[in-house]
Amino acid sequence: MKTKSLGLGLTMAALLAAGSMSARAQDKPVKFRTVASISSLDWEQSTNTRDMKVWHQMFEGLYGMDEAKNGYYNELGKKFDLSKDGLVYTITLQPGVKFQNGEPLKASDVVFSYKRAMKNPRFNYLTSPIADVAAVNDGTVKITLKKPYAPIAHTFFSVKIMSEKEVTNQGAKFGTLPHKAGTGAYYVTSYNIASGAKLEGFKDYWRGAPALHNIEYIVIPDDTSALIAYQNHELDYLEDAPLSAWKDLAKTAGDNAKLIKGNNIMFMAVNYLSPRKELANLKVREAIFYAVNKHDINLAVCDGYGAEATQYMPSEYVATSPVKGFQTYAYNPAQAKKLLAEAGYPKGVDVGTILTYGSSTSNNAKMAQVLQANLAAVGINAGVKVMEASFVTPKLYAQDYDICIFADSMNYDFNNIRQQVHSESKGMYVVKYQGGPFNWQEMEKLVDLGASTANTAKRLETYTKLWSMVMDTATILPCLHRPVGIVWSKNISIGQPVPTYYKIRTFAKR
Amino acid sequence: MYRYVIKRVLFLIPTILGVIFIILLTMSFTPGDPARALLGASAPQADVETLNHELGYDLPFTKKYVNYVTNMVVHQDFGTSYFTKQSVFDEIWPRYLITIKLAFLGVFLASVMGIPLGIYAAVRQYSLWDTIPSLMAFLLAAVPAFVLGMVFLFYFSLKLNWLPSYGIDSWTSYLMPAFAISIPPAAMNLRFTKSSMLESIRQDYVRTARAKGAPERVVIWKHALKNALLPVITNIGLSLGSLIAGAVVAEKLFSIPGIGSLIVDRIGYKDEPVIIAGTILIAICFTVVMLIVDLIYAWIDPRIRAKYARTKG
Repeated sequence: MKTKSLGLGLTMAALLAAGSMSARAQDKPVKFRTVASISSLDWEQSTNTRDMKVWHQMFEGLYGMDEAKNGYYNELGKKFDLSKDGLVYTITLQPGVKFQNGEPLKASDVVFSYKRAMKNPRFNYLTSPIADVAAVNDGTVKITLKKPYAPIAHTFFSVKIMSEKEVTNQGAKFGTLPHKAGTGAYYVTSYNIASGAKLEGFKDYWRGAPALHNIEYIVIPDDTSALIAYQNHELDYLEDAPLSAWKDLAKTAGDNAKLIKGNNIMFMAVNYLSPRKELANLKVREAIFYAVNKHDINLAVCDGYGAEATQYMPSEYVATSPVKGFQTYAYNPAQAKKLLAEAGYPKGVDVGTILTYGSSTSNNAKMAQVLQANLAAVGINAGVKVMEASFVTPKLYAQDYDICIFADSMNYDFNNIRQQVHSESKGMYVVKYQGGPFNWQEMEKLVDLGASTANTAKRLETYTKLWSMVMDTATILPCLHRPVGIVWSKNISIGQPVPTYYKIRTFAKR
Repeated sequence: MYRYVIKRVLFLIPTILGVIFIILLTMSFTPGDPARALLGASAPQADVETLNHELGYDLPFTKKYVNYVTNMVVHQDFGTSYFTKQSVFDEIWPRYLITIKLAFLGVFLASVMGIPLGIYAAVRQYSLWDTIPSLMAFLLAAVPAFVLGMVFLFYFSLKLNWLPSYGIDSWTSYLMPAFAISIPPAAMNLRFTKSSMLESIRQDYVRTARAKGAPERVVIWKHALKNALLPVITNIGLSLGSLIAGAVVAEKLFSIPGIGSLIVDRIGYKDEPVIIAGTILIAICFTVVMLIVDLIYAWIDPRIRAKYARTKG
């Protein structure tokens, strides 16, 4: 009898211990890295991608974004009706959506969120096409545009809907404290601007509670430290893993490692307005472009894992980005020399300085050094200057450079080229086309035409013409798409990896 | 002595005013502005100018300086971060405490490792007890903290899995960064202590103590060391200052939310309120440490006490 009781007791104890261990495993947070402080919990306080990645777990927009499937999808907006004149969107909201504070989503919250964003100059580029936002009833919103504007989809995705009540209650402190103002699958339970944030799954999330309950974002600025933390099982998801260690990392992580094309691009630009008069010569600019060996740049910047670029934006992420039908200036040193000779510089030419920003070991600096060597190989001499971004950017916008290297990322609509080629885009372009020896008026017309229709095929055709014109000027040359290396722990499955806006709600436990 | 302390404390005032002046002046020379950094490249210039105006960034230099000092002195207000919209003091203080803890721990370890080895090396000059530590000090003084940090991370976190690789959740989190930052100053302490002790043990008063039959332990620890410590203490004070300001390397490597990494991060955003307040706190700490060093000097060396006594008279 005693033995039986002892056996029963031991079994009970073992079961309890197993239960407690399982509960602990259940509660163990899944850890993500962020490279710097999360600046705020208010999505309106920054346009920084690292902050937005966190906010995308907490907030949702009328549209969602699925980079793996090339575009936007309906999120809080269930149905979008566009008036015949292309000016008024009548949007039926998704039924049964609750904010994390338990309040139901209403049209007035959408109006509140849009009006708040429209007052914020940071989002002028998104909200300026909107004339008015009004609630038709609790479940319907009307958004009126100033003119037909297809890229408004990006606004529908970017403007996140918040609970008016929660934001108003927190007042000026909103963004600095944990809140439940979003409709997303997670809300923040603990926030320390210095070290990161802890998030908990929202049980009443309208798509169903997420599989991973506890999430933690940890600030780890140094790449190597992050790598060690991942290898030491202290991190569950590591984005932008250092490419120099990718081979070993991929071997260790096995199926839990993926290298994908990033939604980014590194460009070089030649300033035809430079005091170096040689650069006003189209043949010299073309010679420079033909001299660029993108393969070398890829090796120097991304250990060869990147993708040589010809597009203004990667078409994998931007459906309207032209893929062919334009000049690409494939590496051809013989052609570069021939063009130089035709331009009157058979013995070579000095073209001033290649200017870029970042540290001396940054990707831009590496590319500048390769570019310098590529140009020298065909007789084009240039110095290299690498300086602080805050110093270089104004110079680029003022066309105060000879040759420059710059980067862009996170574009989801080709209309973004407007800031580069349209005269209304004041102080935001690297090459000033307006008033130059190019048909800039036609370029502007094409920009406006591309934005005026929602027909993707028509937009693609328009933008192909536009991009072809830009490439013919030999002023901007896309060079490289950097890859994004993602590794994750064996405890989770992440579905189809995406370069930026991963959704933790779609992750699962293993 | 009290007068001296009060004088040194009062000296903090021009120091802090000078720090604010230099930072504001330096920031005014650097290109860019906070509104552009906050609103991004695509924001219209008019919006950028409006925000700069709201932040008070476009004020003339002298007005900005006077406003800052007035707010700090009258309202004890260090301002609001341009970047996070949080109170600068609330943001800085917890980080400052972490950096101070780390720096003090670093100095403590540097002293505990460097000074006894330096004494031993001096006492056993030309033996292996001298050669090996001296050689190691020579090498380690030249190894930067981030290299040591990487080595520690690799072995103690990755290979042995003994210590956490990031953050500052428990006392174990302090071990690797504190050792990483303490080894180069420990090597310096060893070299300073050794050379100072060698000089000290050849002095007449040490020979006299030995001639009087004092045990060697007493000769070394009481007579020689007390005098030899003066330059070592100066070095410790200076290294504490450089560890506070220079902890940024360890903070970045070990993902420690300290004040150094905060200042470096915010320079990119021209977040002047945070940069100035952070620098002021570092300057205050450094000045206080140097004051303590001077007081220890006076405590150790009766000649200094006598000098102050004469000044008073």
